[in-house]
Amino acid sequence: MLEVQLLYNYLVIGALLFGIGLVGLLSRRNMLIMFLAAEMMLQGVSLSLVAFGRFHNDWGGTTLVILILTVAACEAAILLALVQCLFHRTGNLDIAVWHDLRDANQPKFIDQEVPGDDAAKPEWPTLTPAGIEPEVDADEALEHRIHV
Amino acid sequence: MFETKSLMVLIPALPLAAAIIVGLLGRRWLKEYSHVPVVLALAGSCVFSLLLLKDISNREPDAKQVGVEVTHTLWTWAAIPAAGVTTPQIKATPNFQIDITLRADPLTCMMLPMVTFIATLVAIYAMGYMHGDPGYWRFYAYVGLFVFSMTMLVSVSNFALLYVFWEAVGVCSYLLIGFWFEKPEAAAAGKKAFLVNRVGDFGFAFGLFLIWVSFGTLNFHDAGDVQGVLGQTLLANPARYAEIITGSVALAIPLLLMVGACGKSAQFPLHVWLPDAMEGPTPVSALIHAATMVTAGVYMVTRCSPLFMLDPRAQLVVACIGGFTALLAGLIALTQTDLKRVLAYSTVSQLGYMFLALGTGSLAGIVAGMFHLFTHAFFKALLFLGAGSVMHGMHHIIDMRRFSGLRRVMPWTCLTFLIGSLALAGIVPLAGFWSKDQVLAAVHDRAHDGGPFVYLYYSAVLTAFLTAFYTARAFFMTFMGPLVVPHEVGDHAHESPPAMVFPLVVLAICSIFVGITFDHSLGDFIVRTPSLACTLVAGEHGLEHHFHWDIAAISTVVAVLGIAIAAYFYLGDRRQINALTRIMQGVRLYGLSNRKFFFDEIYHVLFVLPLKGLAALSYLIDRWLVDGLVNLCGWIPRAVGAVLRNIQTGVVQFYALAMVLGLALLIGTLLVWKVG
Repeated sequence: MLEVQLLYNYLVIGALLFGIGLVGLLSRRNMLIMFLAAEMMLQGVSLSLVAFGRFHNDWGGTTLVILILTVAACEAAILLALVQCLFHRTGNLDIAVWHDLRDANQPKFIDQEVPGDDAAKPEWPTLTPAGIEPEVDADEALEHRIHV
Repeated sequence: MFETKSLMVLIPALPLAAAIIVGLLGRRWLKEYSHVPVVLALAGSCVFSLLLLKDISNREPDAKQVGVEVTHTLWTWAAIPAAGVTTPQIKATPNFQIDITLRADPLTCMMLPMVTFIATLVAIYAMGYMHGDPGYWRFYAYVGLFVFSMTMLVSVSNFALLYVFWEAVGVCSYLLIGFWFEKPEAAAAGKKAFLVNRVGDFGFAFGLFLIWVSFGTLNFHDAGDVQGVLGQTLLANPARYAEIITGSVALAIPLLLMVGACGKSAQFPLHVWLPDAMEGPTPVSALIHAATMVTAGVYMVTRCSPLFMLDPRAQLVVACIGGFTALLAGLIALTQTDLKRVLAYSTVSQLGYMFLALGTGSLAGIVAGMFHLFTHAFFKALLFLGAGSVMHGMHHIIDMRRFSGLRRVMPWTCLTFLIGSLALAGIVPLAGFWSKDQVLAAVHDRAHDGGPFVYLYYSAVLTAFLTAFYTARAFFMTFMGPLVVPHEVGDHAHESPPAMVFPLVVLAICSIFVGITFDHSLGDFIVRTPSLACTLVAGEHGLEHHFHWDIAAISTVVAVLGIAIAAYFYLGDRRQINALTRIMQGVRLYGLSNRKFFFDEIYHVLFVLPLKGLAALSYLIDRWLVDGLVNLCGWIPRAVGAVLRNIQTGVVQFYALAMVLGLALLIGTLLVWKVG
């Protein structure tokens, strides 16, 4: 019975990981957080598979997990690149900014607006200017972005 | 010089080739020379027809043969093995086979030269009449096609092919009636002719079906071991007919064929299309609606006379329809003021005469009918072409009340029209006298036995009187009296060009001589047709020639009387006829005749209005029910889409949620299904 008990523990943990990841994916709007949540779901599944592999005493589960890890690595690379692209378009990581999949006649559905930049402009401590002001390249000044 | 078989092929082939050439090249290249191929082809056909006539008339039937016939099978059109029914009369299941077979026998050889000769003259005439018409090439293409169809109609040796060319001449007639299709009356007249003919063809088709199930073949001639309907085997042994078709079928076949003949030959109750067909160009009226196509019904009944001989009731029906139509059309023609319409009703009336003769059921009657067909073709073509000449001079005005005294400006037309009128009225020695005399004699022979033929005889004599009267009336109103021309014409009234006068003169000469020349010889020639030589038709003695002095005297007296009365009324100041007209109007007889006994109105109420109602109902059903169902099919996806569109919000989490829920639903179902 010990083996089964052990399997149950692992499965519970795996299910919890999967569930937390699912809830995170569905409820969060930050693209990076959603990515992390999705990774968490993967780990939950991987854990379950390893536990099954151990339980049945074969390499099947483990092999699958190695595959999942590989795929997840690739997927992470692609997804981060995509998120980077999207961010460059709007300067915003909020997934609710993107509604382009909706039907042409449908209104935008946003339950809550993300607070704008100016809402929370931090007050950084400043030093008294001294010496000669450095020359600012005009192109570089334009490329300066407020969000990073 | 030519073999019989190549002649038989060449006669229809030439007009067809000309029609194709003009149809293809006329619009672009031939233009005002479009008549050249057609006139040449028709003249060639005419020459070949005469050669064929000579060839056939030189043949003597051998002892085993009934009549003279030559058949020439070109190719097989349809061959369906074992397609027929088996009846007690047909033991083996027959093959449905239609061979393209041409035949030459005296009946065909009588029709072919007549058709091609008149067609040639009409084609020459139309060079003048249709000159400058934008559809000149189209006209000649149609005429070529028509002559092809008509020569094939009289040449084919199979009921199915007869039906095909029966329809083909109908199509040509439709095209030519509606030749000036921009004119609404012409388009309507073409449609009317076509639809009324459909009614007749419906009966004809049913007759063919009955022949097929009774005889197991549609051939006229014997082919191999298939005994044709009018083939040598059956004709040599006519008692077999009574075994093959018995009882009501023996009555139904001739009556159904007669329905078809009524449609094509404009007999009551399907006569209404012919007067309207006068909307077509006048050469067409002369060629198709007077001389040739309308005689197709007479030809067909003559060809099938062995079938008509089986039941005396069928003969009586044919005779009654013919006699009644002749009288009816004669009465209508009395008051028409349109010259072409007078001639049209006269055609209907004369066709009625032919059917009356065929309905006597004696060989003399059938020969008389065909002889009348033959002479009528010449003088009626002449009269129509004369009327066309008047129309040509009067700038297409044809109302006889608007002109008179045209003998001064159109002497040739007047003279030839006079000859045609006298021939139609039956004045000795012109063509109409001899044939009308034969018809009356045949009816009179049957009237000896009493019964309905007595009334038919008197009605035929009355019709002869009416014919003389209305023909003379038309002549007097048009050509006699003071010179009056419509103001549209001004002083441009003139005689027609030589191309139009030449056919008139030729036809006038023919109208004088064809009667006396062919009085006996035509009969002696066509009785050698297999259908007529059969003992069922010919009886024991064959054709005997008697000249009936009494009947000739009666018909001459009646004709002269008719002309004299017309002269009394219409020469001079016409006071008497105006008074008579007022009296007739008082007792409502004038309107009855002038409005054609209200047949058009009656048919309008009885047939046209119900059909229009049905059409309107069908339109509503199509518009609202059928279209509604189709639109419903289109509307359902739209409605579903309108609902489902609302969940396409573009919110990524919503899609993810939907996936999760869907997956959960699937797994749940699977679990319940597998475990529960």
